Amino acid sequence: MDDYANPWLHRLKWAYLLLVVLTLMAPVLYVMWISFNANGFGANAYDFTWKWYGLILSDAQLIGALRWTLALALVVTAITVPMALVAAKHYKATRNKLFPVFLLLAPLFVPPDILGSALLVSFKNANLAFVWLGDRLGTEAFDAWFRLSFLTAVIGLVIYTMPYAFVVILITMGRYRAEQTEAARACGANGWRAFRDIEFPQIRPGVLSACAFTVILVFNEYTRTSLLKGGFDTFTTVLISQMLNTGMSGQSYAMSAMVSFVAIAVIGTIILVTLIRSEALAREARAKAEPVMS
Amino acid sequence: MLDRTAAPAVEVRGLTKTYGPVTALRDVSVSIAAGEYFVLLGPSGGGKTTLLRAIGGFHRPTAGEILLHGKEVGHLPPDKRPTTMVFQAYALFPHMSVAQNVGYGLKVAGLPKAQIADKVAQALEMVSLSPFADRRPHELSGGQQQRVQLARAFVLDRDILLLDEPLAALDAQLRKDMCLELKHLQEKVGITFIHVTHNQEEAMTVADRIALIANGDLVEYGGARDIYRAPDKAFTAGFVGENNLLAGRVAGLSGDSVAVDVADARLRIDRRGLRVAEGQEVTLSIRSEAVRLSRDTGHLEGQSIAGTYTESVYLGLTTSHRVRLSDGTEMVAREISERDDAPAPGTPVVLSWAPGTARLHVE
Repeated sequence: MDDYANPWLHRLKWAYLLLVVLTLMAPVLYVMWISFNANGFGANAYDFTWKWYGLILSDAQLIGALRWTLALALVVTAITVPMALVAAKHYKATRNKLFPVFLLLAPLFVPPDILGSALLVSFKNANLAFVWLGDRLGTEAFDAWFRLSFLTAVIGLVIYTMPYAFVVILITMGRYRAEQTEAARACGANGWRAFRDIEFPQIRPGVLSACAFTVILVFNEYTRTSLLKGGFDTFTTVLISQMLNTGMSGQSYAMSAMVSFVAIAVIGTIILVTLIRSEALAREARAKAEPVMS
Repeated sequence: MLDRTAAPAVEVRGLTKTYGPVTALRDVSVSIAAGEYFVLLGPSGGGKTTLLRAIGGFHRPTAGEILLHGKEVGHLPPDKRPTTMVFQAYALFPHMSVAQNVGYGLKVAGLPKAQIADKVAQALEMVSLSPFADRRPHELSGGQQQRVQLARAFVLDRDILLLDEPLAALDAQLRKDMCLELKHLQEKVGITFIHVTHNQEEAMTVADRIALIANGDLVEYGGARDIYRAPDKAFTAGFVGENNLLAGRVAGLSGDSVAVDVADARLRIDRRGLRVAEGQEVTLSIRSEAVRLSRDTGHLEGQSIAGTYTESVYLGLTTSHRVRLSDGTEMVAREISERDDAPAPGTPVVLSWAPGTARLHVE
């Protein structure tokens, strides 16, 4: 607040910010709230319980879905984030930025059901083509290449998450000065060494954020996953089919609350650790240098 | 002591660098002796940084050769060249301490930790930053940050140091102090310094030789005093020092001297062996501190010109007197500020100079 600002206006801005945060968090907090209700969703009475959390482990369908989703999230993150990092590096180095950024961000603007169904049709056609090719060559080796499966879900989710990871990494890279890479090269480091020693430590928070973001996006995604998943179920597909068919079970709310809590905790921890670490490093350096006057 | 008979540390032959339709450097050739403090001076966007970065391996030449100690290095990346570089700013590694910054190149080279620590301590001692070894770059002043860059370069024991506007981000007083410090450090370590700047005072302070680069061309190079006192090209005269540039026409030739008509005056000037013809348009340059202002007319014919006094500009140590010639050209006479009796604006005055002070330029 500057010296001439109206203190009430200042408080009003904070109240508005709080209201926005509460509005954003309200549905999540509500799910957390009812996940502890022994009487389930919609009941008049509220009796606190851990029961639903205890029952999660006994729900084979939910645990199976969680396992698949985790596997998808890890594989997609392992592919997306390095690809986004390389793309962001290329983008920073290129002179003509408009065309590459259009290509990289285009999937963001395609509605998920259109992109998902387009991929579905592509995979089906590719599968037909490979089966035909296999028949001609007398082999069944290609038959499963583009059958709907974990692989096709991974491809769909990589296309979906890549623009987000690219933007998150690019924002962090924006603060990085290319002179530092040149200085490292002038000190004898090759391109890879300069990246590893100088650039990466400075963009690491962005890369970690991109990883967390990708994991969360994969957990949240329904349309593309349900169209491309083949025979397995993911967390959101189970929840939504439950909701549409029989209504969500108590343990579904517990699982939703747990996943939300983990997502918030992961992002919050990254932000907190980054803040605390940079402050601690500065304090440590100041303490070491205390006796010297500049 | 600089030995110009030894093999040059840097030799640039016919270097051209283009970016699409833009030519940043055009057929530049220059030779820099080992142990020399060489300055690339010129206006912004002239190509001096491009030349420096091409020597350092950050730009691949479009045409031409770069030889370091006689070996062609045009194809080599920066980390494979016997050069190191000090950048204008922002080039310290912010996540490392001062000592880690200085020791980075040695770590990359794979030296043992104890040896790195010894060398880093020596390098920091050299730039008077030993007590700051554990600080982070953001906890240092601009001048200290640049000294860390110098230490990081010296510690590598490379014999060619490239400095890309190393003082540009510093304030005026600090820049002056750092200039002298750079010069003394170069004398101490005895390696070749190639320093890019657009600041002529900085260039004159540190340079053994200066090369003037503008519009992608190497305009002229030579000793710092020669460039200042006896510029060959009119552009150099206009860029270095405060020179009066007068446009004139050759009125006659007589042995080693030329008569040039400038603003209703006929000036006599040394021909300098240049090929000139009667009627040819030429330029004369006269340093402003060599021009004397007076109200009387008893001056050497051919070494003086009449005009109308317009104003004086007090600059502390010196005062610049501005005089308009009959053709509208404005001349400046700069004097040490001892008197306070400048003529009133509109007063007819005469500007004069010693024989041999004015120079003829034909390009």
